[in-house]
Amino acid sequence: MKRDLVAAGALWLILTAIGELLAVFVDFYPLAKADKGEDIEHAFRVLVYFAVPVFTMVVAVLVYSFLRQHTTEFPTDDGPPLQGRGSIPLAWFVITSALTLAIAIYPGLVSIPNIFGDEPNPDLVVEVEGMQWTWFVSYPQHDVARVSELVLPVDRTVRFNITSRDVLHSFWIPGFLMKIDAVPGRTTTISLKPTKTGSYQTDPNLRVQCAELCGLFHSKMRIPVSVVSDEEFAAWLEEQAGAADAAPLSEETEAADALSGGIER
Amino acid sequence: MTHTAEREAPASAWSALVPLARGVLWGLAGFGLGVALIAVLRAGAGRSAWSLELSITFGYALGIVGWLFGVGVWERWGREWFGLSTKEGPTGWQRYFAFTLDHKVIGIQYLATFLLLFLLAGLFAVLIRAQLLSPEGAVMGEGTYNQVMSLHGIIMVAVAVASIIGGFGNYFVPILIGAEDVAFPRVNALSFWLVPPVAVLLLTAQAVGGWDSGWTAYPPLSLQNASGQLFFSLAIITFGLSSILGGLNFLTTIIYMRAPGMTWGRLPIFVWSMFSAAILALLFTQFFAAAMLMLILDRIADTSFFKAAEGGEPILYQHIFWFYSHPAVYIFVLPGLGLTLEILAHFSRKPLFAYRWAVGGFLGIVGLSAIVWAHHMFVSGMDKRLIAPFLVTTEIISVPTGLIFLSALGTLWMGRLWIRTPMLFAMGVVFNFLIGGVTGIFLADAPTDVNLSDTYFVVAHFHYTIIGAEIFALMGGIYYWFPKMTGRMYDERLGQLHFWLMFLGFNLTFLPMFWLGLHGMNRRIATYTPDLQGVNIFVSVMGFILAASFLIFVFNLLRSLVWGAQAGADPWRARTLEWQVSSPPPVENFPAPPVVSGHPYDYGVPGAPAHGVVGMAGGSDEVSR
Repeated sequence: MKRDLVAAGALWLILTAIGELLAVFVDFYPLAKADKGEDIEHAFRVLVYFAVPVFTMVVAVLVYSFLRQHTTEFPTDDGPPLQGRGSIPLAWFVITSALTLAIAIYPGLVSIPNIFGDEPNPDLVVEVEGMQWTWFVSYPQHDVARVSELVLPVDRTVRFNITSRDVLHSFWIPGFLMKIDAVPGRTTTISLKPTKTGSYQTDPNLRVQCAELCGLFHSKMRIPVSVVSDEEFAAWLEEQAGAADAAPLSEETEAADALSGGIER
Repeated sequence: MTHTAEREAPASAWSALVPLARGVLWGLAGFGLGVALIAVLRAGAGRSAWSLELSITFGYALGIVGWLFGVGVWERWGREWFGLSTKEGPTGWQRYFAFTLDHKVIGIQYLATFLLLFLLAGLFAVLIRAQLLSPEGAVMGEGTYNQVMSLHGIIMVAVAVASIIGGFGNYFVPILIGAEDVAFPRVNALSFWLVPPVAVLLLTAQAVGGWDSGWTAYPPLSLQNASGQLFFSLAIITFGLSSILGGLNFLTTIIYMRAPGMTWGRLPIFVWSMFSAAILALLFTQFFAAAMLMLILDRIADTSFFKAAEGGEPILYQHIFWFYSHPAVYIFVLPGLGLTLEILAHFSRKPLFAYRWAVGGFLGIVGLSAIVWAHHMFVSGMDKRLIAPFLVTTEIISVPTGLIFLSALGTLWMGRLWIRTPMLFAMGVVFNFLIGGVTGIFLADAPTDVNLSDTYFVVAHFHYTIIGAEIFALMGGIYYWFPKMTGRMYDERLGQLHFWLMFLGFNLTFLPMFWLGLHGMNRRIATYTPDLQGVNIFVSVMGFILAASFLIFVFNLLRSLVWGAQAGADPWRARTLEWQVSSPPPVENFPAPPVVSGHPYDYGVPGAPAHGVVGMAGGSDEVSR
């Protein structure tokens, strides 16, 4: 019995070592292109480090029990009558409770103010309206209204004020790892700071993707995102202001845009 | 041992259809009456006589009463209310198509119905995976896809609610506690016969445009879409009633019908898990039904519970919905976990490790499940002050869940593992539910959930908990109890082949979905960005293998039903009561009331008394173990 504990323990340690090495070196994490996305990715990694030994412990017991004694014929004798009435369940209870509280506090509770908090004085305010089946983006500080692409300057804080005209949508930028639902009758907010330049053409995760089932063209309710330098952003704003003067949008053309616009409908 | 049911030869095959036909006729009559009532009222108010959703709602309400009375409530129950004598139901195979009071027949009715629905919704899953072979969608348009996905979702949820509880719960809970039947056999039959209208509604919703809002039916979308949404809502209310009556019946049965000596500390663990699930079903199902009723009223009666433009609140719906639907996932999975522990103990030839802690785990989950619902809503736009408390309660629920793992692992440890198909499935549950549980932590943790919610990470997670734990347990339970229910043995080689194909197919289908979720694939989409195609093709092909494994299962079941070897009373040499009576058990379950004097899992315990002694039953050589 003691030898079995040592052997299973060794199996657990080996599996844990392999698991943690994979967790550190294999890059299966999403690539974050915003400050909060990086924090979320970090929280994800921390949870993986916690999860590996839990996972390997169960697997070690499962595998070791199988290797130690299994039969395809009816067993000739019964196993040892371990009832589990002693201190083992109590120890298990205490340890799992402590682990649970630990991860609830970090990365859980500790990260909430940062991830969910709003930037009180953002460099840029962006208003977003969801509508079946596209997004309208406005920049009230720059008189750019209702375009169907999102362009952001790199390393500037942005606050998104999000709402919906019809049904629930969810404003998700996979490359930033951030999302919040767009709810008719409410304004929801997220704040973040893009940290790397890029565009939808080179990184498909730089897109605003509707993540809440919203009817027929839900899967195609996406518009491109570009993160650019300050100069490029200023140039883009100017271009948009000019375009808006030339052709002010009416409700009808918006609806038509909604059906034909966005990406590759 | 005579089997009452086999005494009489059926008079005619057609006679089996009589109650069903009468149910349909009376149901149609009730429907007509409801529609006519609305027509008269509307005509009186100077409006058109027919209003699709209003007329159908009232027609359905009376139609379902007609259906129930026609199919058997009148003959076997209602006549009593008027001083008439009730009529006996059919015997022989025809009782499976009738309003029958025998809990074992009802168990088989549930099992067969939900296996058929499972295979059907599995076909929808194959269609979904075929569609996702190509980023632009390989086989259907977005509208069709949304409807197929919604149908797959709700039918599988129904299967998850009722297959183990309705099937094994009905068949085995009374036998496991040494009772003759459930506490309310007529209510039991009623709760089964509420199910066919649910299936009919869901599968005919296409006739009025189907619905495209998934199984969650969030408004405002579910207030604006086609009238199939009404069928969905009516189906949920009906199914909810069935579920509540079932929960009530199981609770009463377990509390009041236990055999002498069957103390709470000697209850088989599957019964404890059923007890826990029954509490949840009884307490929470009404919230789903209430949410559906509010949707229906918003649609047909101009209320505005959820219409933002008229002062309603779409997020209110999500609170009510998840107030049921989170406990519901434990309604799905607890009986599966109880069944898994049951099989692990018998096939490890060891006592169930830390039995009392495992019971504490089940009851702890029941308690905590009521205060975790808003973790589904971290990014819904609800008040951000709600995030922290729900993060903490949700993480804490992993402690009672951990106790169930402790029990499973302690039971396996140093056991004499007898590798038969049920044991393979039970061990599969431990592995799969481990992945389901560990990934759940990433979703309970609000900061990571901001990215993961509504992605394929979630899809993978809940399929790991529901297929990985519950459906694997269901399959294990079918192989475990097949010899008891049919008197015949399944084919062991085909059973193990089914397990390995299903286990590998399942893991290779759903493991890559975690990666997809992390790399920008959100759920419920008919098309996706082209960079994800490679992994999606792999997932689809593995999904087809998973689906194919069920062909082996069905073949094995049907073949063994006819040609399987005689199983005998106790092929597994297990201690619990169902193995102390013949296979299949007699109608009254026990020839004389059993006396329980020992623990169900005392394998290898020196001097331990038998769990139960069945007086004068066949197989008296078995009771001494």
